[in-house]
Amino acid sequence: MSSDATEPKWSLRLPADCSIAAIRNVYDLIREAFGRQDRLEIDCSSVDKADVTSIQLLLSAAKTGDAQGRPVVLTSFSQSLRNTLRRAGFASDAMIDQHFPQKKDGT
Amino acid sequence: MSAIDPTEVFRQEASELFEVLEGALLDLGQRPDDRELVDSAFRALHTIKGSGAMFGFDKVASFTHEFETAFDRVRKGEIKPTQELISVALAAKDYIRALIEDPQSTDDIIGEGILDDLKRFVFPDQPAAPVAEIAEAPPLAPAESKQAGWHLYLEFESHILRNGSNPLDLLEDLCKLGPCFVVPVTDGIPFLDEMEPEDCYLKWDVKLHAACDKDAIDDVFMFVSDEMKLTLSPLEHVETPAPLPLFQLLDEEPAPVAGMTAPVVQVAAAPVAAQPVAKAEPKAESKPEPKPEGKRDDRGIATVRVQAERLDELMDRVGELVIAQARLTQLASSGSDLSIKMIAEEIERLASSLRDTTMGARMVPIGSLFGRFRRLIHDLSRDLSKPVDFVTTGEDTELDKTMIECLADPLVHLIRNAIDHGIEDTATRSANGKTEQGRIELAAVHSGAQVLVTVKDNGGGLNTARIRAKAEEQGLIAAGAVLTDHEIHQFLFHPGFSTAQTISALSGRGVGMDVVKRTIENMRGTIDLSTRPGQGTTVTLRLPLTLAIIEGLLIRVGEGRYIIPLSAVEECIELTAEDERSRGRNFLNVRGNLVPFLRLREIMTASGTPDRHQKTIIISTGETHVGLVADQIIGNHQTVIKSLSKLHSDVTIFSGATILGDGTAALILDVAQLVMLAQTKVEKQHISEAA
Repeated sequence: MSSDATEPKWSLRLPADCSIAAIRNVYDLIREAFGRQDRLEIDCSSVDKADVTSIQLLLSAAKTGDAQGRPVVLTSFSQSLRNTLRRAGFASDAMIDQHFPQKKDGT
Repeated sequence: MSAIDPTEVFRQEASELFEVLEGALLDLGQRPDDRELVDSAFRALHTIKGSGAMFGFDKVASFTHEFETAFDRVRKGEIKPTQELISVALAAKDYIRALIEDPQSTDDIIGEGILDDLKRFVFPDQPAAPVAEIAEAPPLAPAESKQAGWHLYLEFESHILRNGSNPLDLLEDLCKLGPCFVVPVTDGIPFLDEMEPEDCYLKWDVKLHAACDKDAIDDVFMFVSDEMKLTLSPLEHVETPAPLPLFQLLDEEPAPVAGMTAPVVQVAAAPVAAQPVAKAEPKAESKPEPKPEGKRDDRGIATVRVQAERLDELMDRVGELVIAQARLTQLASSGSDLSIKMIAEEIERLASSLRDTTMGARMVPIGSLFGRFRRLIHDLSRDLSKPVDFVTTGEDTELDKTMIECLADPLVHLIRNAIDHGIEDTATRSANGKTEQGRIELAAVHSGAQVLVTVKDNGGGLNTARIRAKAEEQGLIAAGAVLTDHEIHQFLFHPGFSTAQTISALSGRGVGMDVVKRTIENMRGTIDLSTRPGQGTTVTLRLPLTLAIIEGLLIRVGEGRYIIPLSAVEECIELTAEDERSRGRNFLNVRGNLVPFLRLREIMTASGTPDRHQKTIIISTGETHVGLVADQIIGNHQTVIKSLSKLHSDVTIFSGATILGDGTAALILDVAQLVMLAQTKVEKQHISEAA
């Protein structure tokens, strides 16, 4: 759920539950990581539960990073997160790329 | 903690839905073109049907389905909601309510009869066909359904996700109507610092390539229509290449169709440009007003449903606490330990604020009661052929829930009287230069520690001469006795007094107004009448805010202690020697006004010698003032009202009892009864003097 010591310091792995029930914790986690790192990598491989709130939070993180000149990179979208993105209308990879800056080798 | 019966939960929810349904149907009678009312009624029906089926009320689900099917024609605008149709729909609602609350009392034949009536109004051209069969026929395609599709712009209120609604499910339902091209609009996404993670910021721009009915789209958003903005415009042509439908994409691995990616990215890269594209569409209007940021919407958790019994239980516990606190205060004041005194004062403050909070939690808006009378007026107006405009004000005025329950029957009597006796028939009204439609106003307003509820009609007013003649005929007054109009009108509250020349099913038997008065007085309230000939009558009920705990004035008479409700106390004065000398006449001179007084020592048959300086407490009900002479005024007392046992039901001058700080009981004086007692004494004195 939190930063993993074995991974690069700027990597944050999202928890399995990123639905509205747990989104405030995830929000706090991302904000905390933002405060610590100049460059943030968010690992989405464990996300098992996602909904509109998860998508919005990732969009907001990307927008905030962009505005502050502190790149936010998303890696390893889980299938569950991909499905949720498609249900929300982010229907193609190109569209996902457009909105969610990704590390290509990690996807 | 007791387990909650899910069927009981359904019954409670259904009860609220019936109120919504009935309100919408009655309003629809006045505003047949109000689309929102039709939708509101339909939503209530739909929820009753769905929940009924879920909780095993199969008959409810089946009957409501038939009702809903028939009512769907109203929703589609194919038929108008006439008064006749509204009446049948109300009967259908009553039947469903009976199916839920008392299924044994229902009869299938009655249900079928109601459905037949409904069918007759809804399908006038096909009287023989069963409702369900007709409804299942393909719907008529309105002209607008010949479009190539629909362009939708969806924007949800920020709190919608907290309610459990999921826009993604709605998009999926929308996609079931036909090929859908969904583009998320992300321009509303805030920066992290400004974000409330549970709020909804995403919006959607959707092109639905299906020649479906607009109602089919409305159906998808039926349950969130109050919490979203849906902008809908017809698509004039199918775009080429046809976009890949969202629901197909969901079932497949990401394999975007060549040629589709480009337009999607183009639109998504400039989200604002993804607003509705139809030229005729008022783009500016479809954009909602910006909402204040950073404000968290807690609507989802603003209220909690609590069983009424639990609130009663809580109030009882608070009552016991107040009594225990009074004992503690008394003990502390008799000792010399300063720290105990401080703690006692602190507990007194806390108990007092807990009492206020608990009483606040029991407060219910009186509008919940007013809503019931709309149906009564509707039915009476129809039965008596007297069109009536029913106006309510002050629905938000709050009263203790017990008061609300007690107030229902008296108000039914008053409203019936107002329509039956007050409002004239249309011919008389026209002849008197009035509008054919009568008007009844039901209003509630806070006035200090009381609530005033008024029932006002614009009918003919009271016939004072006829009331007087009837009173003389019944021997209530001597012929030619000098009485004010106000005094004459009070005879209406005498048991068995009626001036109605004919007895109807509604009123005229002389039973009613005395019961109303007694009920209101039992609630420690008062009732007052005012009338203007030819212009109408106003009945005003003055009620205390609560029945559970009151502020009282503790007095001593002989060895006994009694409570007088503080709301009835006007002032306290010393009984002067001059007043003492007037023994036998029992009148006080209060600033030039003669006020009758009662010696409580005589009424309570107190033993011992009276105190040298007797005190008089002036109490009032309405405009009548009476003095009560006591030995000592002890002071204010937070009075937790305890009912008297059945053994004491014939003791009229006490309305209850309370427990004092030292554990002894004190009786609470019934102000209305004491005033009546004083008036009777005055009348007797008048008669003996005249003799």
